[in-house]
Amino acid sequence: MSINEKFSAIRKGLLEFLVLQIIASEKVYVADILKQLSTTQFATQEGTLYPLLSRMRRQELLDYEWKESEAGPPRKYYQLTAKGREQLRETLEYWGEINGTVKKLGQK
Amino acid sequence: MNKVITINLGGNAYQLEEGGYDALRVYLETASAQLQGNPDRGEILSDIERAIAEKFRTRLSSHKNVVETKEVTAVLTEMGPIEVEPGETACANASGAGATGSGSGQETTGVERTAGCGAAPRRLYRIQEGAMIAGVCNGIAAYMNIDPTLVRLAFVLLTIFWGTGLIVYVVMAIVVPEARSPEEKAAASGFPATAQEFIRRAKEGYYEAMRNFPGRNARREWHRRFKREMRAHANQWRYNWHSYWVRHAPCHPGMGFALPFLSLLQGVATVLFLCALISLLATGTVFGLVLSASVPVWVAALLLLIAYGILVAPLKLARRSCYWGLGQSRWAWPFAFFLDAIIWLAVVFALLFLAIHFFPELRDAIHGFPSVIQQAADDIRTWWHGK
Repeated sequence: MSINEKFSAIRKGLLEFLVLQIIASEKVYVADILKQLSTTQFATQEGTLYPLLSRMRRQELLDYEWKESEAGPPRKYYQLTAKGREQLRETLEYWGEINGTVKKLGQK
Repeated sequence: MNKVITINLGGNAYQLEEGGYDALRVYLETASAQLQGNPDRGEILSDIERAIAEKFRTRLSSHKNVVETKEVTAVLTEMGPIEVEPGETACANASGAGATGSGSGQETTGVERTAGCGAAPRRLYRIQEGAMIAGVCNGIAAYMNIDPTLVRLAFVLLTIFWGTGLIVYVVMAIVVPEARSPEEKAAASGFPATAQEFIRRAKEGYYEAMRNFPGRNARREWHRRFKREMRAHANQWRYNWHSYWVRHAPCHPGMGFALPFLSLLQGVATVLFLCALISLLATGTVFGLVLSASVPVWVAALLLLIAYGILVAPLKLARRSCYWGLGQSRWAWPFAFFLDAIIWLAVVFALLFLAIHFFPELRDAIHGFPSVIQQAADDIRTWWHGK
């Protein structure tokens, strides 16, 4: 089992966290999110992202507004809600702790 | 030359080659099925349609206004399969199934919904926590989502009245595994609330309807419906149990040989019973035991019947589990069944023949049988009138 396969469950779980972080910096639409992720280990597809975003919106972590696009149908631009920001802050903190634990353990 | 189909995606018309259209239709239908039960299903589907439309647009120009099949498949590959969000779809599915199953979706409470959803298939385990003996009743109660006390009561009643409760208990204590790991413990509790639903409906529906009856006919009609429903529940239950056994019964070739042997024992028991019954009716004695004059013959016959039932119940149970076990392998089933039936019949007839041949009293008793029946009927009649 390659390291890539081993971490697939973890990557899947972290995707929500990364999406929060991407949306936190600016208003984005799905193609932007995919593009930013495409060069990372977390590259994903619309089929995964849309259900995830819709669930996060239902949990009131994010919201969207419609914007006309110069080419094609109007687009949904996503942004974080206050709850989403809070969640991102908590997650970052927790992630820092995990990171610290990973580095610290086993060192004497 | 390819046929072109025009479709509407996100409010704009696109022209697709026929093969591409089919591919897109299959993709969207699959997505729709995948999202079954997701509260945002419609929205996600239109998001996806819009995303596809946008991708089509980048592949079209003023000189090219038809999306080719290979372009459609490329776009769909880019989109990727619809990932089901964990816990959502399975959950909604479970409650949806429950709703269609019971025909009363809005009555399902939130608690039941969360209890019934997203969980691994339930299995029967013994649960030691809070157990009285081996945790069998506890396990059954968890499996069916009812109070363990009710199950214990049922076992006690079964033991007192039919003698089977104890045997079933011992067999289950041996056969049913104990829930040890957390996963097993989770799997042990709750089977989509059939029993609970049954009891809840019985209580709620019955008393609710009792309160407001417009008339006698309505009451009768309602009573009939209630009974029918209960019967349907019971049938469903029996079916569940039966299919559970058929799936889980151990299949062993030895069962093929055990089955006729068990049948033989049961045949002997049946013949003994018949002999005892005949001798009771004819001479008033059962295996040398003289019936006291205060006990009517028909009461003694009833007692004899109950004794026979108790004696034969474990044999019947063992035979049934043999049937279920053998039912799993297609070839063994008819063979064993046939052999079993033949042996059973042969034993009963042979023993009856021998008994009649060697005991002249029996022969006389059979000749005197009609008058004995007459006598018994008279007994019952006088008892009835005397009351």
